[in-house]
Amino acid sequence: MKVPWKNPYIGICLLQTIFVVSGCRSAPGQPGSVGHATHPTAMPAADTVEIKQMTFIPQEIAVNKGGKVVFINRDMVTHDITEMNKTWHSSALKVGESWVFIAEKTVGYFCSIHPVMKGRIVVR
Amino acid sequence: MKNIHPFSAVCTGLIVISSVFASSAFGQTNAKLSDAEVASVAVVANQIDISYAEIAKQKSKDPDVVQFAETMINDHNAVIAQAVALVKKLGVTPADNAVSQRLLKDAEQTKKALRAKSGIAFNKAYVDNEVAYHKAVIDAVEGLLIPESENQELKALLQNVVPALKAHLGHAEMLQKNLNK
Repeated sequence: MKVPWKNPYIGICLLQTIFVVSGCRSAPGQPGSVGHATHPTAMPAADTVEIKQMTFIPQEIAVNKGGKVVFINRDMVTHDITEMNKTWHSSALKVGESWVFIAEKTVGYFCSIHPVMKGRIVVR
Repeated sequence: MKNIHPFSAVCTGLIVISSVFASSAFGQTNAKLSDAEVASVAVVANQIDISYAEIAKQKSKDPDVVQFAETMINDHNAVIAQAVALVKKLGVTPADNAVSQRLLKDAEQTKKALRAKSGIAFNKAYVDNEVAYHKAVIDAVEGLLIPESENQELKALLQNVVPALKAHLGHAEMLQKNLNK
């Protein structure tokens, strides 16, 4: 079993879809929980990373400080998002599930389940 | 590899032979595979890797190897579920065939070899086999199963599986590198 590392960033739980205006907000410092999204039918919002065919798309995304990045699992298997030095991580995202990350600094991340999958969030 | 232990060399040889047999099994038939047979081969190939992973979960004490094995079980079960859902939708019953049978027969030899090992030797043998097996399956899916598929949805499913197989191969190669340090 993995040890749950403390998440220094605010993780936000999406309960329904990729529409990020609703959902539950975790307290700062606590790991973000998983949003059980239905398969979204709308076009992806800005600052969205799709997980598809074992790839984070886009592999590098640029956001403003404090900006939200929505990770949506549109693949056929479960993935997660883990900071490169494992200082924070999402819960396992099943197919169709989403997770929102608020970026405070430039970070590299990977999927700890499939460690060849890597991505980067660049804070402008 | 430097400092190859004789027993490891034998194990590697067995695994190479198994992978050659696996490749031969994939290319053995000259007859065209029907979609029902393609579906059977796809499901069997996934089931075989799950069975290897189950042995690894029982025998390995290396957390990275165990985690990899758990990923194989979860991912290949997810692929099987997609394949089963599709064949159900299409009204196709996976048909046993010479390729599926040969794969299963070869897998039994590999599993016997794996069960005979323990400790670091097992970890290396399991991971080496995963590298060889995923290479063989990728070649088979791209070179045989996808071209042989007539139904476009079946073809698309197989095409969608290839990235997962390649990610598994990459992960296995990372483990292989670490184990050979």
